[in-house]
Amino acid sequence: MNDKLKEILLQVERPARYVGGEFNLPDMNKKCDERVCMCFSDKYEIGMSNIGIRILYHILNNMEGIVCERCFAPDLDLAKLLKENNMPLFSIETKRDLKEFDLIGFSIQFELQFSNIAYMFDLANIPYFAKDRDESYPLMVAGGPCSVNPMPFAPFFDAILVGDGEENLTKLAKLHKELKSQHLTKLEFLKIASEQIDGIYVPAFNNRTKRAICKNLDETFFPTKILVPNCAIVHDRATIELFRGCANGCRFCQACFFYRPIRERKVDTLVKYACELMDNTGYEELSLSSLSTSDYSGLKELVDRVRKEADDRKVKLAVPSLRLDSFEAEIYEELNGASLTFAPEAGTQRLRNVINKNISEEDIDKAIIGAMKNNVKNVKLYFMIGLPTETKEDLDGIANIAKKVVWLHKQYGTSKIINVTVSTSVFIPKPLTPFQWERQIDLEEMQEKQKYLQEILRIKNVKYNWHGAESSVLEGVFARADEKIAPVIVEAYKQGCVFDSWTEHFDFAKWQQAFDKFGIDMNYYRAEIEEERPLPWDIIDNGVTTKYLLKERHLAYEAKTTPNCLHKCNGCGASKLGGCFQK
Amino acid sequence: MMIIVKHVKAGDFSYVSHLDTMDVLHRVLKRAKIDVNYSQGFVKHMLTYATTPIPLGAQSIADYYAVDCNNITPQDFMERFNANVPEGLKAISAVQKQKNPNLAGNVIASDYRIKCNNILPVEIEDIKEKEEYTIDLVKKGEIYQKDIRPMLFDIFVDGRDLWVRCASGNVNLRIDSLVKHLIKEYKIETTVNDITRLNQLVKMDDKLVGVDDFLNTLQ
Repeated sequence: MNDKLKEILLQVERPARYVGGEFNLPDMNKKCDERVCMCFSDKYEIGMSNIGIRILYHILNNMEGIVCERCFAPDLDLAKLLKENNMPLFSIETKRDLKEFDLIGFSIQFELQFSNIAYMFDLANIPYFAKDRDESYPLMVAGGPCSVNPMPFAPFFDAILVGDGEENLTKLAKLHKELKSQHLTKLEFLKIASEQIDGIYVPAFNNRTKRAICKNLDETFFPTKILVPNCAIVHDRATIELFRGCANGCRFCQACFFYRPIRERKVDTLVKYACELMDNTGYEELSLSSLSTSDYSGLKELVDRVRKEADDRKVKLAVPSLRLDSFEAEIYEELNGASLTFAPEAGTQRLRNVINKNISEEDIDKAIIGAMKNNVKNVKLYFMIGLPTETKEDLDGIANIAKKVVWLHKQYGTSKIINVTVSTSVFIPKPLTPFQWERQIDLEEMQEKQKYLQEILRIKNVKYNWHGAESSVLEGVFARADEKIAPVIVEAYKQGCVFDSWTEHFDFAKWQQAFDKFGIDMNYYRAEIEEERPLPWDIIDNGVTTKYLLKERHLAYEAKTTPNCLHKCNGCGASKLGGCFQK
Repeated sequence: MMIIVKHVKAGDFSYVSHLDTMDVLHRVLKRAKIDVNYSQGFVKHMLTYATTPIPLGAQSIADYYAVDCNNITPQDFMERFNANVPEGLKAISAVQKQKNPNLAGNVIASDYRIKCNNILPVEIEDIKEKEEYTIDLVKKGEIYQKDIRPMLFDIFVDGRDLWVRCASGNVNLRIDSLVKHLIKEYKIETTVNDITRLNQLVKMDDKLVGVDDFLNTLQ
């Protein structure tokens, strides 16, 4: 680290985020022909908690001839000092200028991080648009959950990687290394890469691409010698990924449809990973992660075996993402004195059927009674507002569930007090879901519904939190936007928009100004879409067919549910990608 | 039993805050599979004890960390500890004692060396002759002035090096605040990165002795 940077770091908050040197750091001095920088468009504490970043960072560093470094969005204090001192954004490991890398990969987690792409490009002195970058700049690619619809940010990148990075990013990096001696142009290289590797969308070619998947997750690399940060991060724990995909089919949920088909790891493999992770990290908590842990076929055996290993090491075991209807006596015991968090998502059974959230009133009652008998003092309930077909009765249903929790505490509670927290977010129609054609409710409607809920949730021991309506509008725009939005993102960044997912930084007025400057109406992207209209994300072949999504949409309007696909294949189409346990 | 390890905090690790360092050290102990004793409260925590923090960015070759643990020799402890630390942390010695020496309570002073880029004016040593020496200090973001002379035990210059012995522990003079003041008053060219804690001292028989010597007197 040079003296200037040392001095700058003394002036910023939590400088440990920028210096690296974490335990288990891979060998940065190994012989390498391809230097990759993994960029994350949010702060260190968020990025280092991301399991995808952990996997890809270590998988690349385990490859021969490839070194992978990291770069996270610096906090505003560091960004200001870098600009003032005319210093470019740097990688954590070797403090290298991003322009010196061969390949830069951005992981884009959700829509409100889009302005941070422009922020990081600007700090790195890299032109925003791929068309403005000559061959002297690194090959710049992006992936992550937002690649479901990459169009709003596609013009910034040379290529978008769609699907499991273990498959397409590793193959791309290897090929880039191998073809280096041929001195191909970026487009010449990407032509070859997109023909050979699944899940590589090149905006310049506008090629339809099939999502890349790891067909055999059990045999796919999973890092157990992971970096252990030297400062607190959001999810400061060891995590094992049980399976990828989700069998439930909640109709609003993008992850559920995007990550199909379901691919599990074996219990023996997971126990081995858990032990290695605990030994290699020294973390005091181990988490079992997936989209719906209850659906893991070997959950009981896994929890029993991992718990024994964790207890021996004085490590706490966390089992998040449990479905309400899967609660069993032993899970209630785990809750003793702690909080119960669950997401009915909708206030009435009718609306839960519409969104295919397959939990009943009985499931909710059973879970709450179980929790009350086990000394639970805090119950957190998550709902969405603005769902298709929602009525006032559905909003009343939210208050009814909250009241019921308070009443059940009076009947069965063993704790002296009960605190119920109701949180609502706003429904955002997301690409590749059965609700991708739906309209998002207007800002005024959001605010009215939130106001109504504030009134009806004035109940003793009940607290109501709601997610910002304005940021939901923006998220709604970005989710289904096309490439016309890219210059708006740059403009908004220039006007000061950055870290939009952080409430203290979000400035909706500036976004509105940026949209106005380009004459783009936000509402265009939030309106209902005719089923026949081509969609910006049609270039992504996700396996799940449009026919299936439409069928699900129509079932939603009939308030008919589709069962969990663990028991019977519903024919969504994802199995054609390979690796599905059903076929 | 108690193992007291003397360790270095240096290089880029000096940017890690004291609280974060405590978490890092707990993970080091777990990775090293040291059989540490835990508190018996509702939220159990490792029984470990550290000495006064150094400022963010400053380095130390004399930080102490006492660990209540079982069935391990100081030598074995040190080897396992050093095999599991991140870059910038390193144990340089370890001793075994029957009880916690309560270094946090017993240490009353620290020695620091501040490396500077210019030849230092000897007038800095005149501070020792003053009855009062008031500098700006910061508490919870508020700047206030304080006479720190009673907390400054010794100060001398040696070419480009400044040597300071000052209060450390329950009564503490923040060395970075003093250095910032000297930069302004005597135009010395240095930064917090150039501060190194060399020693921590305990009062025994009215004399200041190093923690290593103090530990040698304990069983």
